Amino acid sequence: MASDVVATPIVDTAPSARPRIRVQGAVKSFSGRVVVDVDDLVLGERPIEGLIGPNGAGKTTLMRMIMHSTPLDRGTITLVPPEGSAVVLSDLPAHDLAQHGVVKSNQVIMDFPKLTIWDSTLLSVTEARFETPARVFSEKAVFQRHETEIRRYLDYFGFHDPDGFALSAGEKKLLDIVRCLLLKPTFLLLDEPTAGLPDEVTDKVMDVIKEISAAGTSVVIVEHDLNVIWNLCEIVHFMAEGKVVLRGDPQSIRENHTVVESYLGEGHV
Amino acid sequence: MPIDWLDAFLITGLFDVAMVIGLALLLHLQLGLARIANFGVVGFWGLGMYTFGVLYVQLDWPFGDPWQFLVCAIAAMIVAGLAGLLVGWLIADLDIDGVLVVTLGFASAVQILATTQDDWTGGARGMGGLRFPYDIGTVKENEFLWLVILSAVVAAILIYVWLVHRSPYGRLLISVGGNEPLARSLGKSTFRTKLWLFASTSAFMGLLGAMYGVMVRFLDVGQIGVGVTLAAIVGLVLGGTARVWGGVIGVILTVGLFDIVIQAYLPLPREWYTQAIPVLREAVFGATLIVILLFRPLGILGDMRRDRLMGKLHGK
Repeated sequence: MASDVVATPIVDTAPSARPRIRVQGAVKSFSGRVVVDVDDLVLGERPIEGLIGPNGAGKTTLMRMIMHSTPLDRGTITLVPPEGSAVVLSDLPAHDLAQHGVVKSNQVIMDFPKLTIWDSTLLSVTEARFETPARVFSEKAVFQRHETEIRRYLDYFGFHDPDGFALSAGEKKLLDIVRCLLLKPTFLLLDEPTAGLPDEVTDKVMDVIKEISAAGTSVVIVEHDLNVIWNLCEIVHFMAEGKVVLRGDPQSIRENHTVVESYLGEGHV
Repeated sequence: MPIDWLDAFLITGLFDVAMVIGLALLLHLQLGLARIANFGVVGFWGLGMYTFGVLYVQLDWPFGDPWQFLVCAIAAMIVAGLAGLLVGWLIADLDIDGVLVVTLGFASAVQILATTQDDWTGGARGMGGLRFPYDIGTVKENEFLWLVILSAVVAAILIYVWLVHRSPYGRLLISVGGNEPLARSLGKSTFRTKLWLFASTSAFMGLLGAMYGVMVRFLDVGQIGVGVTLAAIVGLVLGGTARVWGGVIGVILTVGLFDIVIQAYLPLPREWYTQAIPVLREAVFGATLIVILLFRPLGILGDMRRDRLMGKLHGK
């Protein structure tokens, strides 16, 4: 039904200095039902891009396919860094993606129930060489190396008790984002980052997102709060029934009445 | 050495308690931190014991003790560690049911091998010829010194486990146990972590098995039954799987209480000692496990307190 929608081309003559992710022929089915079928999609041509669509459109599955936490039935997903050769992400084990700078926050609340907020952030920043069975004396060194950057984030977002556990759903969601930020991603995927966050915290998160994207990180946001999408993103990808059916600047997406009437409703126009 | 106050039974009982504490501490790293339920502890322990025994007894060594003991014990650790690597590889992506089947199956395979390869192991007849790597006097004095050496090894394991809780490695293990997909998304190779954890802990289970072989000096396939695994698991669960001291306290209250206090000081009929007591012991341990899991699943010491520990570590 949405295949008749013509994508709005974005002309970009300037060479991209940002990492991009290219999704080619990526298909994923569950129990015979095709959930994602993306022919050719490039993410990261603009600092902050949005991915929207109705529930069940395949946005989260596509994000998970990029992170290789959901294996592809077929197709390839490639990271094209600004310098150096491309990396086929879909051939890598899931844990290798963070090493290449590709990081994703989670749609559903994900946490380590036995780790405190400090613990959890330290886990995020600790290099693998300190996490071997023989390095049992390295906690002090790790803490000293990363204390300042962690404290900056924890103070900025105002966690209730950083020495304790993340208790509320909002704090867990925020902690998930902070863990991602501490990994210093070059390509950051945010899956509904504002869900469950108070407005003032959402604003803080968005300010940080703007900051890191200005510094060179490519950001893709999946979000149902469309104000976030319209205010932050330069390009918006619209998904329906597993396909990216429309791509354009926020204004063109908002004004595409076929899509808006079919999926978003007149109130968003 | 004036050890008249110690009887031989008490030395053997204390040796058993110390050894099971060692196993429970190693199991704590697997189950308490990384949440891998290894039901085949006796497999790694028994593999170490028999590897040591076969090498020590069946081969002609150009040198004597203590080098003969050290070389054979290191070989036993390597073989048990390699077995841990293999089992770790097999279970890395399995759920708890799969881990249960593989680890139990591994323990059974070790017992069957020890029984069937009787040219090497003596099979059901058993295998003698083991001895202490020193001779300081009477059997009792030698056994007492071996108890002291084992206690030092177990103390070293306890200190290591204590340090792991205070290290990035411990945090990694807890993250793997708490939420493996999330740990992976943060760039942690959970597969490699589990592999190394299994290899290293299994190697030390093998060392404890080798040391046990020296203590009993006669290897018998009946020694590598499920009772060893049960003792370590029950002790750890009773004390608290998530706490450093959980295994220590739990094993003292189970193996210590049963093997030393009840067996040595209760006036039980003599004929019970051969048949009834071993069966009774496993029944009591099994019942204890059920009661703990029903009424206090986190054990006597309860859950780990990372908030307090991190506060102490980072000066808050």
